[in-house]
Amino acid sequence: MKQLPPFSAVAWTIAAFVLAALPHLAAMPPWLAAGILGACAWRLAAARYRWRPPPAFLRIVLTGLALLFVLVAFGGLWGRRTATVLLCVMLGAKMMEMFTVRDLRLVASVCFFLIATQFLFSERLMYLVYLVSGSLVATIALTRIQSVHAGTAKVEGGSELPAVRQAAVLLLLAAPVALTLFVLFPRLAQPLWGLPDQVMDGRTGLSDDMSPGSISNLFLDDSPAFRVEFDGPPPSPGERYWRGPVLWNFDGTTWTRPFFGDAPSRQFVPEGPGTVSYQVQLEPHERRWLFVLDYPVRGPDQALITVDHQMLNRHPVTTLTRYDVVSNPEFTDMPELSSGARAVALRLPEDRNPRTLALAAELRQQHPDDRDLINAVLGWFREEEFHYTLSAAPLGRHGADEFLFDLRSGYCEYYASAFAILMRAAGIPTRVVTGYQGGFWQAASEYLLVRQSDAHAWTEVWLEDGGWTRVDPTGAVSPARIEQGSRSVIDGPRHLFDLNWVQNMRNQYDRIQHLWNRWVLGFDHERQRDFLRGLGLPELTTERIALLMLLVLGLVMGPLSYALLRQPRARAADEVDRAWQLMLRRLKRRGLTKQASETPLEFAMRVLQTRPQEGERVVELALMYCRIHYGDNKAGSRPFIDQARAFRPART
Amino acid sequence: MKSWLDGWVARRGPTRPPLSLGYRQIFILPTRFGWLLGLLMFAMLMGSLNFNNNLGLLTTFIVAGLGANSMLLAYRNLEGLRILKTGAAPVFAGQPAQFLITIASDAGRDRPGLELRHGAASQVFNLPARGITEATLPVSTRHRGWLELDRLVLQTGHPIGLFEAWSWFWPERAILVWPRPAAHPPPLPEGQADREGSEQRRNPEGDEFYSLRAWREGDPLHRVAWKASQRHNTLLARDLRQPRSRDLVLDLAQAPGRDLEERISILTAWLLQASRQDRSWTLKLGGERIGPDRTQAHLHACLKALAEQ
Repeated sequence: MKQLPPFSAVAWTIAAFVLAALPHLAAMPPWLAAGILGACAWRLAAARYRWRPPPAFLRIVLTGLALLFVLVAFGGLWGRRTATVLLCVMLGAKMMEMFTVRDLRLVASVCFFLIATQFLFSERLMYLVYLVSGSLVATIALTRIQSVHAGTAKVEGGSELPAVRQAAVLLLLAAPVALTLFVLFPRLAQPLWGLPDQVMDGRTGLSDDMSPGSISNLFLDDSPAFRVEFDGPPPSPGERYWRGPVLWNFDGTTWTRPFFGDAPSRQFVPEGPGTVSYQVQLEPHERRWLFVLDYPVRGPDQALITVDHQMLNRHPVTTLTRYDVVSNPEFTDMPELSSGARAVALRLPEDRNPRTLALAAELRQQHPDDRDLINAVLGWFREEEFHYTLSAAPLGRHGADEFLFDLRSGYCEYYASAFAILMRAAGIPTRVVTGYQGGFWQAASEYLLVRQSDAHAWTEVWLEDGGWTRVDPTGAVSPARIEQGSRSVIDGPRHLFDLNWVQNMRNQYDRIQHLWNRWVLGFDHERQRDFLRGLGLPELTTERIALLMLLVLGLVMGPLSYALLRQPRARAADEVDRAWQLMLRRLKRRGLTKQASETPLEFAMRVLQTRPQEGERVVELALMYCRIHYGDNKAGSRPFIDQARAFRPART
Repeated sequence: MKSWLDGWVARRGPTRPPLSLGYRQIFILPTRFGWLLGLLMFAMLMGSLNFNNNLGLLTTFIVAGLGANSMLLAYRNLEGLRILKTGAAPVFAGQPAQFLITIASDAGRDRPGLELRHGAASQVFNLPARGITEATLPVSTRHRGWLELDRLVLQTGHPIGLFEAWSWFWPERAILVWPRPAAHPPPLPEGQADREGSEQRRNPEGDEFYSLRAWREGDPLHRVAWKASQRHNTLLARDLRQPRSRDLVLDLAQAPGRDLEERISILTAWLLQASRQDRSWTLKLGGERIGPDRTQAHLHACLKALAEQ
């Protein structure tokens, strides 16, 4: 067995691994993370106390156990999360046999890979810190490992500062190349292979069904869902309904999407005078839907508009996605309702909510007209003691009955659900739409920030003379929710840190995040082309962009190499030497070069022989120089410096 | 293949010290670890491109930048190094020769992690700014004669071991390897050749003046060097010694041994023995006579002559 690597190299490598794995560790089951950290701690202790690696059978058994745990924890489902957790576990197991330079290097370099995989889950601005610090520590580790490998490692306990500095310089020098490549590396317009399926992170966001509590859960989540930039003025707050999944099926508790939910729309939505066109920057939410205003005219190429005007991406949205949409809010959806659709839109479980059904029958008798009936219900919501509140009890078997007659307080999904049941019972085709409503208008940067807490549910009823028409029962109960946003419905803070100034800071921060998204994360195929066009370049093919990249890379590497490889002119230690060197350079220009083997006096004597008119002066100066240098005549340095600087050999 | 490579290297520029390393002498290739990281980088690139993941791409490109710099820095670590001289003191066959290489740097920066290699032997060292160092490589020797060393390698994996820059050079001159002295040589051939030395008086002290030394109790009075004592104000005595043989003649032709190598080996042992006993000897190699003398220089001349035999 070779000599054990020193503590410092091992410690830096483990630090690099832990830092790179930190977000992954946070996302995996805690006991698994604890196991990996335990392996790291064991390795550190082993390096400290010079322990030997455990026997092979133990390593194999422990690794096998860890893999088994992963399989159990993830139920054999294969996805990005499983893959990265597996990678972390394997690296954790590697700690047991990380005793050679090769193993250390492997772990340190896989750290870069680990960092890159984290961006499959999130690319928020704060991860830039993670990227930079992670790369730095991994580079320090590589530097330390190299010095171990070369056998030139300093003794234990030496300062770590040189390694840190060296790694920082290495990274700084890497920046020009990295940035050039980043801007000019041709991006793919289409992915090479399929995108991964949903991760099992339980990422918070809108789900594809609706049951009591499914939306109010999001109320506390202030993270951005998407951002919108409008080509014209933004629509008024009451019109900002961002359409998500449309739910037709109701089983008594949960609303779900119908079997035809993914079918493409057969209706052509024309542009009209009220057409809005805008760009959405959607945060990854692992689902296929793209949020749009009612009714999308056209979206991006890879998107599909479904029969109920929901926009679906071809793949789940796993990275920040930007898309352009044109919507026409004045469109009339389905002036004719097919009998099949009508049947689905009226279906109700019969053995549920008897009181609601009775109320519906009563209302139907009073109001034969659909519109009157709807207004009556909304008026009832408005006038009776209905409350819009977050703290709602979970509902039992007769959910709508409990809500409408007993509790009378709940969040938007309670209202939407109860209203839809009431309408269906009264014979009006109804469907539930989930999505987001509202958003915060960032006036300074002119974009609309929609947060998870803006998640909302409303209904659409089908009317003879208006097709599908949006009715938001929440608006009747709490108009402020629609006009001012979700936060306005609750008095006082939602939690301890829900303060106004915190909220303001979050809004400010989001503006930076928006720029980051726009210019860094959203820098795709199209943006790249726009950018190059903005530089005044003609439309370039991918090959041309690649050529341009190589060219610019050469332009960047040239000066970099020059700066690195230039032999710095030997700078004299002090002024006396500089003056002497100056004098020598002047003599050199006249063809008198001092050989390295010559002493100052020998050289001066040679000058005296070839050029007697200046030789005396040179001998005099050389004598002074020698006296300063080798004698104790420090006082004579000033006159020497002045005279040597003033010395000009005559032209011959 | 190797000779072709050596020829190609030699055609590119000077390869024997003193030489200064420039782009004609420095070669660079990725190490195995470099290839590994390259592979990893490719995987990261494909993944990030496919998922259009810009931060992933940025990470990939940072690694690419590190790679590019590492190449430059590895080259820089060798560039401008001066290999001043090489050489080794002669050794007996079978002993390792200590091959010395003097390397100097004029640059104003440190050159860490340099490695000098020859075959399996290697030495690592750091060279400080404007520093000079002497590296030693043990070279194993087997046969007497001139040992022509194969090419030497000066290499570095600085800064993170992704690339290895190296220079090949050949030593200025061969190493002299003396014959291996016989382990159990027969006794020295006393008065083997010239008979006139045989009638010596058996006086252990001899009667030839050797040196002056301080007078000791028991020295006979006729040994006192009176004049010298007067000059030095202390009593000095003449020290007399008698070389056991005036003319030790060591002849290759008459040395015992089954073959030439064995005879040379025994002769070598005799030379060393004679030198240790501080006796004067003459070495006869065929028609050639070296000596008589008893100095170190004479010993070296004799050993060299035997080595070249």
